[in-house]
Amino acid sequence: MYRKYLTARSPLRVLEKGLHGGLGKGNLGLVLAGPGVGKSSFLVGVALDDLLRGDRVLHVVLDQTVAHTRAHYDTVFADLRATTQLEDGAVVHGELEQLRAIRALPAAGFGVSKLREAVLLGETTGGKPSAVIVEGWDVARASAADLEALRKLATEIPAEIWVSASAPTERIPSLPSDLVAARDQFAVILALEPENGGVALRALKDHENPNPEALRVALDPKTLLLKRS
Amino acid sequence: MELSKVRNIGISAHIDSGKTTLTERILFYTQRIHKIHEVKGKDQVGATMDFMELERERGITIQSAATYCEWSGHHINIIDTPGHVDFTIEVERSLRVLDGAILVLCGVAGVQSQSMTVDRQMRRYKVPRLAFINKLDRSGANPRRVVEGLREKLKHNAVLIQLPIGLEADFRGIVDLVLMKAFRFEGDNGEHIIEEEIPANMADEAAAAREEMLDAVSMYSDELTEAILEERVTEELIRDAIRRGAIGLGLTPVFLGSAYKNKGVQLLLNAVTMYLPSPTDVENMGVDLSNNEAPIVISADPNKPLVALAFKLEDGRYGQLTYVRVYQGTLAKGTTITNMRTQRRHKVGRLVRMHANDMEDIESAEGGDIVALFGIECATGDTFTDGSIDVAMSGMHVPDPVISLSIKAKDNKVQANLGKALGRFVREDPTFRSHVDQESGETIISGMGELHLEVYVERMKREYGVEVITGAPQVAYRETISQRAEFNYTHRKQTGGSGQYAKIGGYIEPITDGSANFEFVDEVRGGSVPIEFIPSVEKGMRTMIPKGRLIGFPVINLRVVLNDGAAHSVDSSDNAFQAAARGAFRTVYPQARPIVLEPIMKLGVEGPIDFQGAIIKTIMQRRGVIIGTTEQEGFCQIDAEVPFADMFGYATDLRSNTQGKAEFTMEFAKYAPAPNDVKEKLVEKFSGRVKGEDDE
Repeated sequence: MYRKYLTARSPLRVLEKGLHGGLGKGNLGLVLAGPGVGKSSFLVGVALDDLLRGDRVLHVVLDQTVAHTRAHYDTVFADLRATTQLEDGAVVHGELEQLRAIRALPAAGFGVSKLREAVLLGETTGGKPSAVIVEGWDVARASAADLEALRKLATEIPAEIWVSASAPTERIPSLPSDLVAARDQFAVILALEPENGGVALRALKDHENPNPEALRVALDPKTLLLKRS
Repeated sequence: MELSKVRNIGISAHIDSGKTTLTERILFYTQRIHKIHEVKGKDQVGATMDFMELERERGITIQSAATYCEWSGHHINIIDTPGHVDFTIEVERSLRVLDGAILVLCGVAGVQSQSMTVDRQMRRYKVPRLAFINKLDRSGANPRRVVEGLREKLKHNAVLIQLPIGLEADFRGIVDLVLMKAFRFEGDNGEHIIEEEIPANMADEAAAAREEMLDAVSMYSDELTEAILEERVTEELIRDAIRRGAIGLGLTPVFLGSAYKNKGVQLLLNAVTMYLPSPTDVENMGVDLSNNEAPIVISADPNKPLVALAFKLEDGRYGQLTYVRVYQGTLAKGTTITNMRTQRRHKVGRLVRMHANDMEDIESAEGGDIVALFGIECATGDTFTDGSIDVAMSGMHVPDPVISLSIKAKDNKVQANLGKALGRFVREDPTFRSHVDQESGETIISGMGELHLEVYVERMKREYGVEVITGAPQVAYRETISQRAEFNYTHRKQTGGSGQYAKIGGYIEPITDGSANFEFVDEVRGGSVPIEFIPSVEKGMRTMIPKGRLIGFPVINLRVVLNDGAAHSVDSSDNAFQAAARGAFRTVYPQARPIVLEPIMKLGVEGPIDFQGAIIKTIMQRRGVIIGTTEQEGFCQIDAEVPFADMFGYATDLRSNTQGKAEFTMEFAKYAPAPNDVKEKLVEKFSGRVKGEDDE
């Protein structure tokens, strides 16, 4: 509904089909970054992309408070609103909040079955999410069976599911060894690296694109949205 | 009195966690009172701090009373704070003047949603706190679980400084992990403290708990860390580390007991003197009025110019009583002080120290003290100085009222008393307002919730003998405009005698950054509107603001820009321009697409996880937006925003949907545009009432 405002600054423009499709329902997306580079900000940007399109988002955070996550959205939204001259900002903000559900869960005991429960609860009270963001679950440590179950869930809902993983170093030349086995489960794999005081976003995998390395954009270090041009 | 021996503390907690009982015990052990009365006591006297009759009857504390006591050479001022969410302004006002607080938690129920609200408020005012886990004699008491709650729900670095000896009916005493001694409390009222060795069967548990405690508190003292490594830990080193951690808000030391069973209270008092800050440990900030309200540090030096804050007013038997906290300098009887808001000077006739509703005359009070003044006209939140400096304490956060009620005295003869009662309540409580509706002639009172207003209606009856009939509760809607619209209006009347003529042009537009509710901008060039009539236009516009043209509620976020007009040398007048402004407003307002704003409340519901779905449904049914849910150990917390209009009777609804196992807190969040169906209903209701009002 407010697509035109976001597409101007959506980090997903890094993807070849970013402007029409992005990750796509039924698929898993993975974002990789070193500690503190901004995985969660990036995921908030991805969620806003869906919310502004009028799609429902379920945002699951582990060992984190609802208030903290909401404040994160508010910061990124405020920046977006200021740079895109979005009119009726308060109204849009209200609408986004109706489409978004934040669920804070303890990290201990979290798994795909817990996520499924969260989706079901959301369905009874609002509706099916088009996108699910899972923040704070390090997929580098997840088992192959877990990832398989996660991909099934994505097809079942159907929704796109975004997860993140910590990279061992700030520079991510290629997919870290502990994630190589999981490569096929993800339709999209993105890497965030600090660069010249900002953050560079690079695609390590983009659907069937044979040459994803060519896809690269610079992001604002605070909001992880595309830098203002 | 040496400042380092002064403590200004609050006792804050969830309703029913026993803070009034605790205060009563503190006053007893410090010999301020000589007999213990229970809340809802069989002796029909009630606890000392709940001095208003109504509070005695309901068994809850509504108004915070300041009292003081002495304990082991320390001077402790206690502000008793109410626990119910409808009275949070009282809590907030008290917190503003406190240096530290005791957070009382029920040993059975643990951290409840109200504890969260109170804790958030304490965090806002950076109040260091101790936790006291009360009611350990009750069945189901589990202090460890409560400590977990403090850590997880309130994110406190909570550390047990004591262990209980026995629990529930078996609760006998306390092990102090600093001294590594056991304490029992004997005598009719637990006044005899018996110190003894730790029971043999608890030795291992105590040693382990001490190690855990040392581990946590050594974070705040390098000396202690070294001493631990070198195995030369002393009591002083531990106390110093706990004190530093607590004052720096990094650590919450946890103490245990049962106030009702007279156990642990004296040790808690020791802890207050040892671990909570004195006025010199805390930095207080004021604002410099002569320098654009820049923040400045206020120091507790008795020789500097006086700065004192009035934080509570009460009408007593002897006239108005004003509770003040002296922040800097000395407040002495017979001196003259200046109210920085009104610039009026007052002579300090009588200065007293308060003890519930008894008082003690004193000659002077110094920075850090809390005392009361007599017969000084002022409002809550006013700053007093000696007149030599231009400083005020920063303002307090005052939420807007969200609910209104029309009231009418049953008997016309007591009308004067009603006025007196309202005048006093409004002065005492900034969240309580009252006005007379010009159209209906009804007296309207507004406040923070149903119970808030109910209590005042009760107080009118009890304290002023005024019984009132109340109307249906009314939500405090607002109107605003959503687009710019231009006006060009001529007011002309020629009905014999001198005529009236005024012409004005300009536009109205919404103020989008919330910087003001109403703004009048004069952009008239070349004197087309004579300068003496510009205030008349503003005045005319302002008269239209309290009652919007859409649903009859105040208009907010409106800017009026006047940029053109015309006048007649004979027929133009103040009245003519005011009339033109009113006429212009009536014509232009509908063109600016007016909308209805409704108050949105921040709602927090907490209950067992099995009821999560049921709780969410109660919120969805009331047009609520779920912000998020948090799951933790069998409990869930649901944060939502809901229109206040849909929240009447929510307590009952929630109770019946969760078998009474969930509870909620609610506070004002913001104004937001109301949906069309709500707007249409309000518009219809309003238009039915305003036929033939437009006379001009």
